[in-house]
Amino acid sequence: MHTLTTGPWTPVALSADLPVGTVIPARIPAGSIALWRSESGRLSASADRCPHRGMSLSHGFVRGENLSCIYHGWSYARSGKCVRIPAHPGLEPPEAIRAKTFAVEEAGGVIWVATDEAATTPPVLEGLMPLRSMTTSAGIAAIEAAAGAKATAEGLVVPAENADTLCLLLSARDDGQTLIHVLLKGETTADSRIAASRVAESLRRAAEDLQKKGIAA
Amino acid sequence: MSIQAMIDEWYPVGIFAQLDEAGRNTMLMGEPIVVTKDGNARVTGRNGRSLPVKVRYGHVWTSLGEPKKDLFPIPEADQPGRRFVDVGVVRVRCSPLRAVENFLDIAHFPFVHTDILGAEPHTEVQNYKVEIREDVDEVWATQVKFYQPQAAKSASGGITTEYMYRVAAPTCTVLYKTCPPRPTEWDVITLFVQPLTEELCDVWPWMALFDDETSMTDLIHFQQTIFLQDRSILENQIPRLLPLDPGMEIPTRADMTSIAYRRWLKRHNYTYGAQLVAQ
Amino acid sequence: MKLYDYILSPSCYKVRLMAALTGVKLELRPVDFHPGLEHRGLALLALNPAGSIPIIEDGDLILTESSAILVYLAAQAAPEWLAGTKPEEAARVQQWLSFSGRLTANLGGARLHEMLLRTGDIDALQAQGIAALRELEAGLVEQNLRGQRFLAADRPTVADIACFPYVALAPDGGVSLDPYPAIRLWSRALRSLHGFVEMPGIHRLHELKPEPTVEESKA
Repeated sequence: MHTLTTGPWTPVALSADLPVGTVIPARIPAGSIALWRSESGRLSASADRCPHRGMSLSHGFVRGENLSCIYHGWSYARSGKCVRIPAHPGLEPPEAIRAKTFAVEEAGGVIWVATDEAATTPPVLEGLMPLRSMTTSAGIAAIEAAAGAKATAEGLVVPAENADTLCLLLSARDDGQTLIHVLLKGETTADSRIAASRVAESLRRAAEDLQKKGIAA
Repeated sequence: MSIQAMIDEWYPVGIFAQLDEAGRNTMLMGEPIVVTKDGNARVTGRNGRSLPVKVRYGHVWTSLGEPKKDLFPIPEADQPGRRFVDVGVVRVRCSPLRAVENFLDIAHFPFVHTDILGAEPHTEVQNYKVEIREDVDEVWATQVKFYQPQAAKSASGGITTEYMYRVAAPTCTVLYKTCPPRPTEWDVITLFVQPLTEELCDVWPWMALFDDETSMTDLIHFQQTIFLQDRSILENQIPRLLPLDPGMEIPTRADMTSIAYRRWLKRHNYTYGAQLVAQ
Repeated sequence: MKLYDYILSPSCYKVRLMAALTGVKLELRPVDFHPGLEHRGLALLALNPAGSIPIIEDGDLILTESSAILVYLAAQAAPEWLAGTKPEEAARVQQWLSFSGRLTANLGGARLHEMLLRTGDIDALQAQGIAALRELEAGLVEQNLRGQRFLAADRPTVADIACFPYVALAPDGGVSLDPYPAIRLWSRALRSLHGFVEMPGIHRLHELKPEPTVEESKA
């Protein structure tokens, strides 16, 4: 079992994949979260469950500075406090109605979420430019074997054959899947970025092959 | 979970008109069953044991236990002039009890059935009456009113529609709705739920309507549209089981029917598909 | 123009969506696909011996296969939805139109199995569906890197409409869309298009409308 030490922080998504006014699903060790960016650009992470009837909030929608549940339109502020219950327009929602929230930080194009109250800040990834995120059924050992390189404590793997151009930021999830953020090094062009995306696809394929054969188990 | 309290209930397991000799292999509360036709309907359980059968409201009904009561009555099913609509089965990965509870809810209309059963800004749920009718042991909600943007296919504008909701059995619910062509009658729309397991169900909507205009296929498609809009909600509620622990989910006044339904389930120990203690 | 239509069919929805986006007026003829299996009845087999819907009737013309119908609608009402003259763009449109047939088989097959109890090898269908989604995701990532937001160009084409419905409805068949950020952005771009219409299973993007002011009733 690999333990990556990014402290309480999990790299959950790339900034570019969460435009203003949208919500996406993500996972941290504490469970599923709804990750959203308000119209003014402020990031938030809340438990992916509306306290009303348990509906997944990542299926909801962002209007202004609030996240709304798709089921009954209950809206939540960044603090997690319920601010609107459309069935009762005149009602000020009680303080007790809250979605649990988590600390979020964005650095270098990567969005990090902390499980606990974070006293630290997420790791800084110097000189790396995010390309894309992908999910794999392969574990970290299989990915390391496919890449021919070991992961650092922060979960960074530099594939042996592409050491000058590519770096993978790995995050093991509780469902056995691994989230891979593909990062680029140095100067890039549109063509080299496309080439790097294809290399990452091949690495994933190789890692899943190894995982299936149990070689990296 | 307890299967015992619900085992003597009747459950829908197929559309009678669609049965054939080949039979339908399905499941009821975890037990594989076969529904076939030899003149009447026949249902066979594990090890070939014959299960009780009723054919009513377009569907075949059976039970794994020994039903102490007859199937709940729907008097409108015998009323001349109504059209009876077998809407067809839809499978949903959710608790059968969650499927019923969603059917009892109107506050989601503007967000899930947008521009059909509801639309912003008409989101307010006004007070209505809810009771457990002890004589028939059913949950009833009456004087439920909600703004509906397109009341019928022919309607050009919105109207306030009135509803009555009735839970007639743990997994069967009946909706009475304003009937535009006959103001003195109610249209009847039901949701009969077959519990396959605690987290998987086959849903059999059925209707008894006064409507001589709309084609049968249009009637079926309207109800399938509504139910399929609900399905993507039902498959994304966490947990899949219906929580009966009051601390687990927070209701408001608009949820009075749901609150009564949960209380009634708990009182009777109808907990197949329920979560009793938060996990 | 008459469309033999089923409200829950993603292939029929392609035609309704294309018509809505391009302003074509359709006369809908509902087909009792489920539970009635009307598409396999004699009347419809006479129109389409393959026993599938959608079918378009336009005067003497009978068209089957949703991709062909999309091309017909676009060519008549909105040629900008077809491939341009660039060889690469023309080829990409064809590539994704072909690909959409695989989506019907795998994601569509999984959906019919999980929702309407049709037979099929669900594990294989879901695995093939995931493979197809990965292929689409990779294709969209590359298109974005080329500065193009859609499958064949920087504007939506018939290829996008051919692929969108089965992808958007993948969760109906038990296939999650969570792992695909590029598909999510693409899907959102399509759902935000002027004239976009939904089908059951694809919810309205409520954020496209401002939050309404709701007054409490005095009752």
